[in-house]
Amino acid sequence: MAHGSNGTYVIETERLTKRYDDITAVDHLDLRVRRGEVYGFLGPNGAGKTTTLRMLLGLIQPSSGEVAVLGTAPGTAESLSRTGAMVETPAFYPHLSGRDNLRVLSRYTGAPASRIDTVLRQVDLLDRAGDAFRDYSLGMKQRLGVAAALLKDPALLILDEPTNGLDPAGMAEMRDLIRELGHGDRTVLLSSHLMNEVEQVCDRVGIIAGGRLVAEGTVDDLRGEDVLVIRADPLMEARRIVDGMEGVREVQVRSGELCVTTGTDSTLEPAHVNTRLVAEGIAVSELRLERASLESVFLSLTGSDRHTDDIAWPPQPGNQAHETREVTHAV
Amino acid sequence: MLSRFLDLILAELFLLTRRTATWVLMATWTLLGLMFAYIVPYVMYRNGDDEGPGTIPSMLPDQLTATLLDGYPFFGGAIALVLGVLAVGSEFGWDTFKTLFTQRPGRGQIFAAKMIALGIVIVPFVVVQFAAGAATGVVIGLLEDVAISAPSATSVIQGIMAGWMVLAAWAAVGVLLAVATRGTSLAIGIGILYSLVIEGLVSALAGSIGVVEPIVDFFLRANAYSLVRPLGGASSITGDSAATDGPGAFSGPFVDETQAALVLVAYMVVLLGASVWMLRRRDVD
Repeated sequence: MAHGSNGTYVIETERLTKRYDDITAVDHLDLRVRRGEVYGFLGPNGAGKTTTLRMLLGLIQPSSGEVAVLGTAPGTAESLSRTGAMVETPAFYPHLSGRDNLRVLSRYTGAPASRIDTVLRQVDLLDRAGDAFRDYSLGMKQRLGVAAALLKDPALLILDEPTNGLDPAGMAEMRDLIRELGHGDRTVLLSSHLMNEVEQVCDRVGIIAGGRLVAEGTVDDLRGEDVLVIRADPLMEARRIVDGMEGVREVQVRSGELCVTTGTDSTLEPAHVNTRLVAEGIAVSELRLERASLESVFLSLTGSDRHTDDIAWPPQPGNQAHETREVTHAV
Repeated sequence: MLSRFLDLILAELFLLTRRTATWVLMATWTLLGLMFAYIVPYVMYRNGDDEGPGTIPSMLPDQLTATLLDGYPFFGGAIALVLGVLAVGSEFGWDTFKTLFTQRPGRGQIFAAKMIALGIVIVPFVVVQFAAGAATGVVIGLLEDVAISAPSATSVIQGIMAGWMVLAAWAAVGVLLAVATRGTSLAIGIGILYSLVIEGLVSALAGSIGVVEPIVDFFLRANAYSLVRPLGGASSITGDSAATDGPGAFSGPFVDETQAALVLVAYMVVLLGASVWMLRRRDVD
């Protein structure tokens, strides 16, 4: 990969791999994060998210593969000077105040001292900036971590579980902040396990499992199409009728209900299906549109779906856990 | 470029000086020096336990350098080792290397700034103790009603430089151990064990087992004592100092002072070089 060869991607990895003895934490990961987007990086515990982030920051060296961050090798002064990051738990000097911690980092980054109060205000920590870091609550530590990441006014912001430890109001504020930070040219890579957070904030999402990217796309793309769920009697007669209707792609019977998938260009309306079934003498007791939640997609893709047998997003034929599901609608 | 590096040094100085442990170590070291060089000998003298003719003169300000330097190779070494461990090892404990290494400067630059700041902080460790020793000597002189004269500036400057070099070399041991063990507790344990058991025992055997002596010639302890001896320190050979007995006792072998200085510098270069090599090469997990 020629560093800086492509200005479209702020982060670009190719077959990125990290092995620890017999354990492969990240396995041939191909990740592409576009300039100006908020990219959600989802994965269960131990999937390789944090290892990937650490490689992007030059904290750990890849075993093999290539990686470019902001067009250059990770961990170089050039890439780090334009990258703000908070990886895992925020790490600061416990005996120093929040402000003093940022003072130290401003000397490290070359950021003007005037930025300190700006970023403290941004994360709503200005009032407690004089308190020792050791006295902060988990939520306040998270805020300081985000403030430190913003100190450089970075082109790329890497945040690992930034809402961890925040109360609901704090989480909402943080989500607003991330959305705001993601406007314009700045790119945000948000690693999280909170589906609603990712759904609300991210332009695109990558799901990692077993060290591999198993799906990537917009949230809508990943959730797939709406499924029309019909409870009718007699069920098999209803299936026969619906199956023959124009625009219907697939009809499945699941848990005593019909699950109808239509083609992407279908104009089939639920009301029309209802009218037809009733006209054919079928008793329709329920008819609703359902869509897979990002959570169910996530659980299905990461092999954690033992308790969600009836999720609406069915695994694609041949969709193995280690096979990337490309969903490449333009964002 | 240079101003950026100066900023790093200032940041590291800020970190070290805002840390209670630094001041506690400095106070401990100063009190330890005063205790063994002045207070205990003076109390013994007053109680009639030690009425040697050299007792009071050795505590007067003009003997400042000789009196204080005795404690540097052993007690000072242990204190400096702990300081070196804390300066670097705590970054592992707090996980703050992760934060520092994701800023702009490279790991080598960060380490260099840390070491320069550590070297600067060691200066007051020596200077404060010298000042406190001089003040105590004056008080003892007044109490004993004897003539008080100031030490020569040359001996004080040489003493401060030698003291700094001894402490810095031991601090470098602490730094290497902290980097190698990625923490503080084990590093301090190993460091103290090394200074007491390895260097202490092997040095003690050097007199009776000839084959050990060439090895001891390159020990930190032997070279530190050899460095301070020409300045009047390591007076175990004259038998009138705290270095005579106890864990800090050292009766040689001594080496030439130039060799001693070179060996101490070599220790610093090798230990710090190995530390930065490990720090740059290793993953920050």
